[in-house]
Amino acid sequence: MDYEAVVGLEIHVELNCATKMFCDCPNRPGDEPNINVCPTCLWLPGALPRLSEQALEKAALLCLALGAELQPLCAFDQKVYYYPDLPKGYQLSQAHLPLSRGGAIDITGEDGAPRRLRIHHIHMEEDVAKLVHEMEGRTPIGLVDFNRAGTPLVEIVTEPDFRTPHEAMEFLKALRTQIRYGGASECSMENGTMRADANISIRPRGTTQMNTKVEVKNMNSVRHVGDAIAYEIERQTASVESGEPVVLHTRLWDPDKKVTSPMRAKFEGPCVPDPSVPVIRLSGEWIAEMRARLPEMPTVRAERLATDYGLAPDEALTVSADPQVADFFEALAAQEIEPRTALHWLTTQLLPAVKDTRQELSVCRVTPARLGALLKMMAAGKINANAAREVLTRMFHTDDTPEAIVAAQGFTQVSDPDALGAMVQQVLDEQPAAVADYRGGQVKALGFLVGRVMQASGGKANPKVIRELLTDRLSAAE
Amino acid sequence: MESTFAFLNPEPVFQGSPHGGADDGYLRGLRVALQPSISVRDWPAEAGSVALSGFTALEDATVVQRLRQAGAYLRGYTRMSEFGFGLGGGEAGAALAEGADIELVLDLMGESRAAAARWKVSAFKPSYSLVSRLGIVGLIPSMECCGLVAPDLGTIRKTLQTVAGPDDLDFSLLDEETPDLSARTIDPAATTVGLIREAADGLSTERQEAFHTSARYLESRGFTLKELSLPDFALFSLVHRIIGSVEASSATGRYDSVRYGPRAPGARNWNEMYLRSRDAAFGTFLKSFLLQGAFFQFNRYEAFEAACRIRAQLVTEMANLCLRAEYLLLPTPQDTPPGPTVGAPADRPASLSATYAQFDSTLFANVTGQPALYLPPTADGTRPGFQLSGAALSDGALLSLGEHLLSDANGEEW
Repeated sequence: MDYEAVVGLEIHVELNCATKMFCDCPNRPGDEPNINVCPTCLWLPGALPRLSEQALEKAALLCLALGAELQPLCAFDQKVYYYPDLPKGYQLSQAHLPLSRGGAIDITGEDGAPRRLRIHHIHMEEDVAKLVHEMEGRTPIGLVDFNRAGTPLVEIVTEPDFRTPHEAMEFLKALRTQIRYGGASECSMENGTMRADANISIRPRGTTQMNTKVEVKNMNSVRHVGDAIAYEIERQTASVESGEPVVLHTRLWDPDKKVTSPMRAKFEGPCVPDPSVPVIRLSGEWIAEMRARLPEMPTVRAERLATDYGLAPDEALTVSADPQVADFFEALAAQEIEPRTALHWLTTQLLPAVKDTRQELSVCRVTPARLGALLKMMAAGKINANAAREVLTRMFHTDDTPEAIVAAQGFTQVSDPDALGAMVQQVLDEQPAAVADYRGGQVKALGFLVGRVMQASGGKANPKVIRELLTDRLSAAE
Repeated sequence: MESTFAFLNPEPVFQGSPHGGADDGYLRGLRVALQPSISVRDWPAEAGSVALSGFTALEDATVVQRLRQAGAYLRGYTRMSEFGFGLGGGEAGAALAEGADIELVLDLMGESRAAAARWKVSAFKPSYSLVSRLGIVGLIPSMECCGLVAPDLGTIRKTLQTVAGPDDLDFSLLDEETPDLSARTIDPAATTVGLIREAADGLSTERQEAFHTSARYLESRGFTLKELSLPDFALFSLVHRIIGSVEASSATGRYDSVRYGPRAPGARNWNEMYLRSRDAAFGTFLKSFLLQGAFFQFNRYEAFEAACRIRAQLVTEMANLCLRAEYLLLPTPQDTPPGPTVGAPADRPASLSATYAQFDSTLFANVTGQPALYLPPTADGTRPGFQLSGAALSDGALLSLGEHLLSDANGEEW
């Protein structure tokens, strides 16, 4: 029988707030253990939660960035379970009245057709403490780090609209882009600021029933999510075909072995309204204020980049996917750098170099102004492309202007026909075979000769001028 | 004779406010007894429970900070029932006989008013969201409030004025300014007091008689009495039992003996440690309440949801009654006379049902959040003890009515 998968995602996103969700402790879970704690996030007797205004704002921006509808009334519930990572016996979350409902993300399916993947709701919740398992001599011990306890999260729960691993991966990429645009989170699955769990079931293709699902956790990259879903579809199909029914449980993805395996279920109780965090009423004015804070979103920006700068639709999408990259591109274009040159240098030279040097585009030494100055020198014929690449490499290590680097390193391009004439003649004398080839109609030989002259000039010659000189002399001697 | 104080302030006299130098003097010299569920920095805030034994408060509760600021002297911690639930295991009110001018008693279902009835003094439960709960080791967050027990209403009013008002650290408080808590003149001829007929249902003959005598007394003082009806009055108790126990079950989830409280020995893993320690930490009576809450949470969630709906309805109905009469008259709490010696174990009701019966006339105010005042009887019996209530945040006026009633026609106190 032919089966299709029914997949829904639950995505946790850590908000990039300054403080935790219900107290003033810094939101820095990676610090030295148990430094960022207070009576509230340790839930000592008499402590009361105080919802952070910034957490509410960031969560709301995230919802709006995903096209979700903020609810006029939302409230916190207690998700009751007992575990050492949760010292008060319940997690503050929103089970009954979430922050937003609805929303969707449009992706392109494997067949090239557009697909709309819907979001069911988005709610706020606090993160729990981190458990660290170690050995003390031969005794296994469990340590609890409360730096993460109470850090602000949202959970995005989708509709079971996904049919393939591809759709889940495209959804996550687009989701990440849109949330970054909203400025609410860095959304790095690798660093744990975005975590996705998948609920997967299968059914005979063409039917509409919802079968027993299996939840898969522990995927820490977009690719892992795709791999885990693909594996799970295969596993469930094999299981059903061999007559074994699927049972409701949770499985962990093992990225090394590329398999999922069952995990022990955490005991989870009911959700009751929390009496200590007041209900939250969002006024129309407040929602409008949040909406006004949202920047131009990626798909809208891509359309504008295509129109304003003549980029191809796929180029425009690539640039707009990361607000930092798009901002950088527009800052270059604003300096009257030709847009295609700007795009080419940004994507093929700068971004790989930033990645190699493990820097962030927004804080690296190569600012749009400095790269702009370099590209202008190239456009004006003061340096050639080879030299520009060399200068760019050096710009990562010094704050000197590109002009200063060019002057100091002698990268200035030689365009003077008199200075180059001797070199051209010498190459023509040394390479009679290539000269004969060219004259015999093999135009490619010209490229070889240009390369030889470049080499002779130590890479500083203006290739355009060399080409002119060579063509002149080769035709003149005929 | 054992003192009702479990812990006395090591500073024998008032030392001045530790918060920002000079106090404002509003309560200078007032000796305040506190229950150990109200955090005082470095004091053993054990809230009457083994689960908190060894716990020392890290900070002053907001209430305590404000008392200090006003120059009050914190006399010490009294003994109290476990987390303040019911009146067993402590002698709430007894500190007034041991040199305290006022005692702060957590009011979860009417404890401060029942304690006052026992000691024949006055008690006031403020409106919910008027007094900060920061630093109060609570049990039923949506219902509990710091009750004030004292022989005279002047002390209660001044203390309320001191502790009430917005607190940036308690978001359940009002954003608006504190309502007017000052004294005002009461004109009986222009004042209607409502009497909820069903509040007398199921009372002992003695309490029913006292209730009707108090109504006649109010009439004799020139007030207009109006009979009102709230057919669902009996549901207050049921709603309190369900919502209160569910909240208590959650609120005590944090007592796991990890950071404070004794760990039961012999556990092989953390789960066993939780189970054994929690089993040993809570008293039998409280445990029956917590288990009931867990039952509703895990097995009868729909009953909890129904209770929440009924609660909202009761709040509306009571607010409507307060539109028809400015004040409400309610029966005195079930009288439990004080033991022969101070500090002797109190006669604790054996079951939850008996406890709820004891507080049948008081817990309405905890369910709705409105203020409630208990006035003691006169020695000659001309005026029995009774409760008065009013709309939420009518605290200032309600205290004025009490002051009017406690003074005779010539303005002298009875």
